[in-house]
Amino acid sequence: MRRTQRFGRAVAFPLFFLGLLVAWELSITVFKIPRYILPRPTEVAVAARADVPLLLRYTVVTGTETVLGYAVALVVALPLGLAIAFSGLLRRTVYPTLVSLEMVPKIAFAPIFISWLGFGLLPKVIIVFLVCFFPIVLNAVAGFVSLSEELTRFTRATGAGTWRAFFKIRLPAALPQCFVGFKYAAMNASVGATIAEFIGSDQGLGFYIQISTGNMRPDLAFAAIFLLALLGLGMFGLVTLAERLLIPWDISQRRIRGKN
Amino acid sequence: MPHIDIRNVVKRFDTADGPVHAFGPATIAVERGEFVSLVGPSGCGKSTLLLMIAGLLAPSDGSISVDGRIVAGTRTDVGIMFQDNTLVPWRSVRRNIELQLELRGMDPRGSRARIDTLLETVGLHDFANRAPFELSGGMQQRAAFCQAMVHEPDTVLLDEPLGKLDAMTREKIRADLQRLWLQTRTTVLLVTHSIEEAVQLSSKVCIITPRPGRLDGVIDINLPWPRDITVKRSPEFAAYVSEIGDVFHRYGEI
Ligand SMILES: Nc1ncnc2c1ncn2[C@@H]1O[C@H](COP(=O)(O)OP(=O)(O)O)[C@@H](O)[C@H]1O
Ligand SMILES: [Mg+2]
Repeated sequence: MRRTQRFGRAVAFPLFFLGLLVAWELSITVFKIPRYILPRPTEVAVAARADVPLLLRYTVVTGTETVLGYAVALVVALPLGLAIAFSGLLRRTVYPTLVSLEMVPKIAFAPIFISWLGFGLLPKVIIVFLVCFFPIVLNAVAGFVSLSEELTRFTRATGAGTWRAFFKIRLPAALPQCFVGFKYAAMNASVGATIAEFIGSDQGLGFYIQISTGNMRPDLAFAAIFLLALLGLGMFGLVTLAERLLIPWDISQRRIRGKN
Repeated sequence: MPHIDIRNVVKRFDTADGPVHAFGPATIAVERGEFVSLVGPSGCGKSTLLLMIAGLLAPSDGSISVDGRIVAGTRTDVGIMFQDNTLVPWRSVRRNIELQLELRGMDPRGSRARIDTLLETVGLHDFANRAPFELSGGMQQRAAFCQAMVHEPDTVLLDEPLGKLDAMTREKIRADLQRLWLQTRTTVLLVTHSIEEAVQLSSKVCIITPRPGRLDGVIDINLPWPRDITVKRSPEFAAYVSEIGDVFHRYGEI
């Protein structure tokens, strides 16, 4: 009984997804939608198979931009978030600056960076960096400044020094909020890379989508979109895995809280 | 010389709407080994007073001394149970108790036996390896109590530790609390708004007036220990409860 239930839950999503693809396939026949407007899923698969090497190479290109931009953002934003949280001066100067910059759509900078730096990897990495940087800093700041009054006082009453208090209380207490930023950034990283490629590039999945659409080959464009979706899922999956490894307690706590 | 000497202590908070007179002036003397309850209506400054005794807040006026020395900064020789417990979700019950020791730079391995005894006393030994969020509210408060006691504090400050619990659980933890105090005779200051709780547990009850809290009176509770159900049903117990109740009735609080 339990086993069939679990099986039912596991297959529910794949079955539903497959159903959507079938509905897509059928509606094209029913509504007689021409191929150059919307291809069938089967046509997308056939077209993609014929272009596998290039699609894979471009996935690596876009993936590299995404992962590099994300990694650099993480390495810069996390320490900066910490510094802002623990320095009153930075909290009054850098922090409000970042909050106002957060309102600017980062992607608006893309044409400028590309005009400065050309069609290569660097401007894309910078765009992805910008897209990921803000959610990571802002959530890190929020995480590190929001320690409860009770825990702050408890820690003080033990006489613990800065470092001990940091590693035993402040850091673990801030991690769940930090991960909100990590995950949000992971979801948007490949968006940044794709749009940067639209604006100026000679390779990558975004570039491929533009070329295919220009050539009236939406089937190929959809194949690239599918790969971009996989790339985004992969990023998000990795961060979720890290979350599961680093703060399993937060996940169990959320699960229990959610149940009652 | 009293163990804790609270002299003409006043606390004002500066807020956006101007200063708030939260507490005092009040003078209270606590002897070593006493169990003292602070009873008063919500907002009269009881938590504020506990924080000042712990050195976590400075009085605006007057002074607090411990064994003749004025409290000038955060004291590290107290055990505090805050109104919201300080159990962290990333550690099991046992590791939460050890946290108190680790933050003090002590090796918790040296205190295994003591932690076991504490857990045994409050009936949590089977839950030592559970996370706090897997425990009921009453169990969490018991765990928080162990956390506040494990470093053998000189003074224990309890801020409405049983406030959010159901009546039955409250009775049980009161009994645990009393047993532990009778064993250790640590100085305890308990903030509560339950008059019965104060009479049952305390050697002395301080009645605090509505905000800004002042000391209305001190009542010594001369009832035999341990104060179990038979004591609670005695006419003497009832007399203490109504005596304190009358005071709050006069203030229009009940
Ligand atoms: N940090 C603070 N800033 C401003 N007002 C405060 C602060 N802490 C407490 N107060 C005020 O002081 C009064 C006493 O608070 P508290 O000690 O928490 O009361 P009690 O614990 O008796 O309910 C309340 O009116 C409260 O609003
Ligand atoms: Mg209070």
